[in-house]
Amino acid sequence: MKRLLVLAIALVFALLCGQGLQAKPIIIGAATDTEILDGFATVRGLKLAVEEINAAGGVKVGAEKRPFQVETMDTRDCDAGVPVSEALLVVEKVILDKGADFIIGPSRSEAALAALSLVSKYKKVYLSTCGGLSPKFHSTIAENYDKYKYAFRITGESGYMAQEAVDMLTAVNAKYGFNRMFIIVQDVAFARAGGDAVAEKLKAKGWEILGSQRYPSGATDFSAGLLKAKETRAQILFIMGDMPELSILVNQWNDLKIPALPFGNYMGPAMEPKFWEVTKGRAAYTVVNLVNAGNAPSNATPWTMKFYKAYQKKYGSEPEGYGTASGYMAPYVLKDAIERTGSLDSDRLVDALEKTSLMGVYGRIKFDPKSHQIIPSLDPEQGAVGTIFQWQDGKRVVVYPPKIAMDQLKFPPWMLDYWKIKK
Amino acid sequence: MQILIYGLINSMLLVLMAVGFALAYSVSRVPNFMHGALYVLTGYLAWVFLNRIGLGYAPAVLLAIAVVTFIGWVVYRVAVIRVRGMPVSEIIVTFAISLAVLEFVRWLGLRGATYVLPAFYIKTITLAGVPVDFQRIAAVIVAVAIVLVLWVFTHYTKIGLGLRGIAQNERAALMLGIDSDRAATLALSLGSALAAVAAITIIPMGNINVAAGYDVLIYAIAVCICGGLGSWTGTILAAFIIGFAQTAVVYLVAPHLSVVVSLAAIILILIFKPSGLFGRQKELEERV
Repeated sequence: MKRLLVLAIALVFALLCGQGLQAKPIIIGAATDTEILDGFATVRGLKLAVEEINAAGGVKVGAEKRPFQVETMDTRDCDAGVPVSEALLVVEKVILDKGADFIIGPSRSEAALAALSLVSKYKKVYLSTCGGLSPKFHSTIAENYDKYKYAFRITGESGYMAQEAVDMLTAVNAKYGFNRMFIIVQDVAFARAGGDAVAEKLKAKGWEILGSQRYPSGATDFSAGLLKAKETRAQILFIMGDMPELSILVNQWNDLKIPALPFGNYMGPAMEPKFWEVTKGRAAYTVVNLVNAGNAPSNATPWTMKFYKAYQKKYGSEPEGYGTASGYMAPYVLKDAIERTGSLDSDRLVDALEKTSLMGVYGRIKFDPKSHQIIPSLDPEQGAVGTIFQWQDGKRVVVYPPKIAMDQLKFPPWMLDYWKIKK
Repeated sequence: MQILIYGLINSMLLVLMAVGFALAYSVSRVPNFMHGALYVLTGYLAWVFLNRIGLGYAPAVLLAIAVVTFIGWVVYRVAVIRVRGMPVSEIIVTFAISLAVLEFVRWLGLRGATYVLPAFYIKTITLAGVPVDFQRIAAVIVAVAIVLVLWVFTHYTKIGLGLRGIAQNERAALMLGIDSDRAATLALSLGSALAAVAAITIIPMGNINVAAGYDVLIYAIAVCICGGLGSWTGTILAAFIIGFAQTAVVYLVAPHLSVVVSLAAIILILIFKPSGLFGRQKELEERV
C-alpha cells in the first residue's frame, strides 16, 4: 500500500515537474469553418504537420526549442445564416482567449477579407490556407500593404485557377478540336465570377460559349441545363460551385449521357475521395480543379507522396478537399520563418515570410513580396503548382499541369461515339 | 415536352415534401416546423443503419421510418401537447426541436457530399423523347401511392374517418367521442412518417445535408399556404401550380430564379386570398 502511495506521489510530482519544464507552446489559432470539408481538412493537415514538427523537437526560437499547439475554433462562416461579424468574433476569441500567435483564417472570401483588418489590429501573422479564393484578398493586401502586411495566402486563388482552366482547355482544343462550352454554375459570387472569367478568356481564344445557367444553392434537378448543353452541342460542360447537390448534376450528366465533358473548376463534392463511391461510379471522367498539388496523388515534389501517405496513415483517408496540403504546409512555413528570425515578432516574421523559399508538398513556396500571394507556377521547382484531376476507374488521376500529370485526359464512351474521337 | 415531364416530376416531389406537413396540420392544427429536420434525420438514420450498423436496405429504411414516426409521437406527447392551441408557441417549440435535431446531426459529422442513400434502381428511361432517371419516376409513383393510400385511409377506415372528423370540426368530433389529443398524436406521427418516406425517396437523387432541412420545410410551407392550410385538394393543386411554375421558370427564364417562385406564390396568395386556394381558415373574413 505504501509503495503504491509513493508511486502515486512520484507520478504526480513527475507530471508537475514535466509541465513546469516544458517550453511554452507557440499557438496556431485555426479559426475557420470546420463544418465544411475544406476547413475540416485544412485543420487535419495543420495538426498532422504540428505533430511531425513537435515529434522532431519543435521550433527553434533563438536558443529555445518550443512546440506548436493548435487551437481550433469553428467560425461557421460558410453557413448561409452566419453573418461575417460572428466569424470575426471567433477570430478575435482565438486571439484573445486562446492566445494565438498565428491565425489560420475563415473560409468564405467575405469573412477572410473582413479578417484582414482584425489581424492587423492585433498584429498577428495570418496564413490563409483554404477558402478566400477571391483575388480581392491579395489585391487588398497589395493596395494597403502597411495595413494588411501580416496576411499571406499560402494557396491558389480563383484568378489563377481560371487561367489554369483556360490553359488546359486550350490544350484540349489543340488535340481534339473542342471549342464549344456550356456553363453551369452555382448562384454564388465566386462561382459566377469564375464562370464569367473563364468564358471571357476562352471567347478571346475563339471558343463558342453556348449558354450559361446559374442554379440556386440546394437545386436538385439540373436536367434543364444538361439537356440545353446537349441541344446546343456543347463539348465542355464548365461547372463551378461548392454545394453538395453538384453530385446530382454529375449523376444526371451520366444518366442522361450528355456528350460534353464535365469540367469543375471548383466543384466541392467532386473533390472528395469518396465521390466515386457516392455516385456509384457515375463520376467517371469528371474533371476537377483541386487547387494545390498534394491533395491528389502525384510526384510533384519528393514531399508530395510522403505527405499523402502520412495523411492516409493518420486519418485513414486520402487528403480531402483542397485546403489539406496548404493546411499541412502552413506550420512548416511558419517554422522556417521563425527559425530564420529567431523570434516571434510579427514585423520581423513578415520580412522573413516574404523571403520564404521552401520546397514543399506542392512545389516551391514563395510569396509575392507586395501582395503576399503564393507564387504559382507550372513547374514545382519554380513555384506552387496546381492540380487538375480526372476521375478514372475510381481514382483521382492528375491530368494537369503536364509536369505532374499521372495520365492523359479520357472521354466517356458516349462522347467518343458522338464526337468520333479516336481512343 | 421536357417542361411537361419534369414539371410533373417536380410537382410530385413537392407533394411528397408537403403531404406530411399538410396531414399534421389539417388534423392537429399544429404547424410542424420540425418537418424538414425529420426529413434530414431519416436520411441520416437510414445511412447509419446501412453503413455503420450493417443492416440490409429494407430493414435500415423501415427502422429509420419507424424511429422518426416515434419521434413525432414523443414530440407531441411531451412538448407540443403543453402548448396546443397557442400557434406561436407551437411554432417555437417545433422549430426549436428542428434546430436541435439539425445541429445534432451536424455535430455527429454530417458534412460534405458523402452521405448518400442508394437509389431504388439506376437506369435512364426515355419518355416521349425525354430522358429521365428512374429514381424520379419512382418518386412520382411513391407520391401517387401515398395520396391514394391516404385517401382510402381517411375515407374508409374508422381511424381515418376520426381524423377527418377532428379536421372538420374538433368540438363536434369530441362530442362524438373522438379523442382530440390521440388524433393529433396520430396525425403528427403519420406526418413524421410521411416526411421520412419523402426522404427515403428523394435523397437518393442527391445526398443528405443539413441545409435540406430548411429547404424542405420552406417548400412544404409554401405548398400548404398556397393550397390552403388544412386542405388536401389545395395542397395537391398548389404543388402542381408551384411545381410547373418552377420548371417553366427553369426552362424558359433562368434556373436561379426558380427559388423565387415558391416565395412569390406565398406573397401573392397572402395578398389575394389569405386562406389559400382551398383553405377555410379565414374564408368568412375574406368574404366580409
